[in-house]
Amino acid sequence: MSAAMDQTAQIRQKARELLENKVVDCVIGYERATDGVNARPLFVYEPEEADRLIFDQTCTHNLTRYLLNRKGKPTAIVVKPCDSRAINLLLNESQLQREKIHIIGVVCPGVVERQWRQASAKLLNACQVCQQHVPVIYDVLVGELPSEPTVAEHYPDVVEMEAKSAEERQVFWKEQFSRCIRCYACRQACPGCYCPECFAERLDPLWVGIRIAPGENEVWNTIRAFHLAGRCIGCYQCEQVCPVDIPLSLLNRKLEKEVLGLFNFQAGMDAETSPPFSTFKKEEKLGIGE
Amino acid sequence: MSQFISKQHLLSWLGQLMENRHLVAPARVDGLILFKEVGRVEDIVFDYENTTLSPKEWFFPKTETLFYVERKDGKVELLPPEIEKETVIFGIRPCDARGITILDLPYLADPADTFYRQHREKTAMVGLSCLTACPECFCESMGSGPQDTAGLDIMLTEVKDGYLVEILTEKGKSLLSEGLLSTADLPKPKAPKTAAVPSEGVVQKMRQAFDSAYWSRVADRCIHCNVCAYVCPTCYCFDVRDYTDKGRTERVRSWESCQSPGFTKIAGGHDPRANKGARMRQRFGHKLLYFPEQFGPLHCVGCGRCVRSCPVNIDIREIIEDVQKMGAPK
Repeated sequence: MSAAMDQTAQIRQKARELLENKVVDCVIGYERATDGVNARPLFVYEPEEADRLIFDQTCTHNLTRYLLNRKGKPTAIVVKPCDSRAINLLLNESQLQREKIHIIGVVCPGVVERQWRQASAKLLNACQVCQQHVPVIYDVLVGELPSEPTVAEHYPDVVEMEAKSAEERQVFWKEQFSRCIRCYACRQACPGCYCPECFAERLDPLWVGIRIAPGENEVWNTIRAFHLAGRCIGCYQCEQVCPVDIPLSLLNRKLEKEVLGLFNFQAGMDAETSPPFSTFKKEEKLGIGE
Repeated sequence: MSQFISKQHLLSWLGQLMENRHLVAPARVDGLILFKEVGRVEDIVFDYENTTLSPKEWFFPKTETLFYVERKDGKVELLPPEIEKETVIFGIRPCDARGITILDLPYLADPADTFYRQHREKTAMVGLSCLTACPECFCESMGSGPQDTAGLDIMLTEVKDGYLVEILTEKGKSLLSEGLLSTADLPKPKAPKTAAVPSEGVVQKMRQAFDSAYWSRVADRCIHCNVCAYVCPTCYCFDVRDYTDKGRTERVRSWESCQSPGFTKIAGGHDPRANKGARMRQRFGHKLLYFPEQFGPLHCVGCGRCVRSCPVNIDIREIIEDVQKMGAPK
């Protein structure tokens, strides 16, 4: 844990400096949660509050979504490598102003599954296959580079699901979605889900009704996944926050894999390249319908 | 002397209940324990702390049809939804049963909500008292407790080889025939201790905290999902819509939450609670101030579900402590 101690100390110092020098008026990071084990998001406004900040492997939240509530206000934010891709996505989609955000990037050893009140030793599925230990965009980097980067099959669970028959997959997803309570935690935690009016709440045209029932649940979850095709940055927030444990990232990462295969594109690796479905290029003919 | 039912008799009784009623009980669904209609006694889970979702959906369903309107031969007909057969919920925890008595206050107050009343009349609750408490349980601070019988028709308490039985209502009496019971000279096990939360006097403190900047600070990290309200055994807000399909219109209500952006949006686009802090204050204001002012009890039973499920650790126990520590407004 000494690396984490060191990262915590560096983050606190950086946050204090930024607030004292009025570079930013808020630092978004992590503090210890009330169970004494996990982490929770923290907004620091005063230099003397900086010592509440922590960083370790329990810091699972992707905090970048909060930047959308502070548009135009100078803000510093602690980001892990996957989170940093969300910043690129949001910059590309003109949701953030680069000069207003100060990015404290952390070198990330992977974070653990969020298990309320007990320390988990199990890395998130996402982290087990992660190849990105350094943020893709940052102003200051905290932590040492890992000596041995992980190289693993990136989509083992997706490949496993692809091997099943269409009927088996349908049974699986119908069962999963049947227990969805449409609390929208997946949407609210997702840095890519920022529409001022979500299709799920749209009355005219009506895309999906308000019923919390199998049919509507399927439509809700499927359309949300499609809206993130080529935009999902693989932070697993949706799956982490789901109160009924629906493996949502499996769906999102299937689409990520498809987009990678078709367009050789992964969301948020830089701020300049737009997601494939935000652009149209003549040479992108996919041979569909020909 | 107490009444006693052996584990074997309990299982055969549950099997009998299934024959002509819906039997709802804690069951394993993937890694979760959820209340579910069970068709086999073997599917019932007995060793659980509490379910991920509260049993309120059997009284206040996630989605419910209020009526259908059909046009037939030039006439408009209003059709009530079909009335369900009787339901028994087995394995309800005392906090959750008390939660139903809290839902009774708004829903059975005159004029009663017809749908809620029908579910309530047709549903019996068989409780299982708690032998252990989770660290997030604070039921005793909210006027309940691990052996609280409020709202229950029958209470069971696990002892060696079976359960102590308390039949609490006429409905309970009609469900469980005396033949399955025996008497036993066994003391009731000691109730576990739950965490103490300083709830006394919180209503007055909440009134003083109304204009505090505190709510905006807590709201900073709230992502405004509806998890807290949907896992809560006492939250009771809903939204209503009409859906028309081929000449038939259905009026539906579904759970909604004061935390969702747009919950209070009105015609013309104005939203009196557009601001995150105002929504946060609404949640805890309703739980700890408006509801007690209107109905008496605090609008929380201390089940701890929101504490466990909140993605960003907005913890009602901490909120109560913070509000208690606040000074008088300047």
